[in-house]
Amino acid sequence: MHPEKQKHTFEPKIIAFVCTWCTYAGADLAGTSRMQYPSNVRVLKFPCTGRIDPVFILKAFQQGADGVLVSGCHPGDCHYIAGNFHARRRFAVFRKLLEFVGVDLNRLQFSWVSAAEGGKWVEVVTDLTEKVRSMGPMTEFKELALEEQWSGTIDTPELQEAYNAI
Amino acid sequence: MTSLIDTTIYSAITEAIRVEAARILSEGEVTAVVGYAAARRKGSAQPIVINTAADAGQLIFTPSCVNNLAVYLTKAKKEISKTGKIGIVVKGCDLKALVGLMGESQLKREDMYLIGVPCIGVLASTVQPATGLTAETIAPKCTECDAHLPQGCDFVPAQTPVVTKLEHKYAAEIARLEALTPAERWAYWKEQFTKCIKCYACRQVCPFCFCEQCLCDRNKPQMVDTTPRPAGNAAWHIVRAMHLAGRCAGCAECERVCPMDIPLNLLNRKMAMELKELYDYEAGFDVLDKGPLTMFTDKDDQSFIK
Repeated sequence: MHPEKQKHTFEPKIIAFVCTWCTYAGADLAGTSRMQYPSNVRVLKFPCTGRIDPVFILKAFQQGADGVLVSGCHPGDCHYIAGNFHARRRFAVFRKLLEFVGVDLNRLQFSWVSAAEGGKWVEVVTDLTEKVRSMGPMTEFKELALEEQWSGTIDTPELQEAYNAI
Repeated sequence: MTSLIDTTIYSAITEAIRVEAARILSEGEVTAVVGYAAARRKGSAQPIVINTAADAGQLIFTPSCVNNLAVYLTKAKKEISKTGKIGIVVKGCDLKALVGLMGESQLKREDMYLIGVPCIGVLASTVQPATGLTAETIAPKCTECDAHLPQGCDFVPAQTPVVTKLEHKYAAEIARLEALTPAERWAYWKEQFTKCIKCYACRQVCPFCFCEQCLCDRNKPQMVDTTPRPAGNAAWHIVRAMHLAGRCAGCAECERVCPMDIPLNLLNRKMAMELKELYDYEAGFDVLDKGPLTMFTDKDDQSFIK
């Protein structure tokens, strides 16, 4: 009944931070409508996109996410009137910061998906999964986590001398 | 050796500050004045709080008056109303920090007596406080300063700062980094963040880091690794830059106090540039009810959102 599932060598981990009122309901609609979308996405439900702190995205990357999706209500549809407007500004700035620090922004996707847009949810998730799959695993933050202790180098004669004296 | 930047007006400013501090203290207008005094090494300066008019003679203003004194008012903000009005000596950049704090309801204008300083610039480092101010020794923030003359103070000495045009050091460095590939930028910042020893001097000196409990000190849930290891360091500096976005006044104290010489203000300047571009916001002398990240319009850019 289901189409043959394609085998891939790399299955990316995608973390989706979604708002409970729109995107979560949209994803639910996709499910009840029996639409197929990649199972790579792990959905985390929040009251509102305004509740999604940039530090969550950072944490997701540190804990091994290869891609992050943040999704909520369309502007003007927020259950809390203005949560997504605040989130829009915050994320616009946060992605600029990540870009400056050297994170590839193709791994971070923002979207508005309403409760009626099951099809759009499928499209957004599929696109992001395929994009991240083609980019390979996110190694930057994982490598940082694996690095031991303070790894300052002995790069001045004084430090070298002090080191030799130990 | 480049030519010295003329700071001869600083001696007249010192004199004016002393006279004004003595006046407001003796007339009882303020209970204390926060300013700068000479420290032990020749040419160096340190923050001082004076309570009597007799001590006003200790106040100075020199190129080594680098500290942002606004931080003393944030930490002490709860006691201000009890002690009465406090006088504070502010450079343009320090005043922007005070204005930001007033906008965030941390301080009240009527609790402060502002002594503004017409400032040409201060030293980048106080390791050799007696060196003259040149294009090399001047603090990078002073090369892009647009606030040499503080606005809206209660008292400003009459001297006019004559400003030498200098190369914008931060703008040049940000442009250099932006031209790199993401992987190269990551390598650069990884090297910088790896140096961090998590002493939190940047947090302690920042006038805007006034949270009673910092997110980064909490352990349930622990959002940022607290050990001085590369992962936690990178997260700390990213969180720090994000929490200061739209608030940072650009006093660059974080960068000055960093014992590991991490270019922290680069992140803050980059964020300031983005906020200017996105929301036309700049730290200034006008107290705003809402910062750029606590307000919105329905026409904000959303080209990055699907």
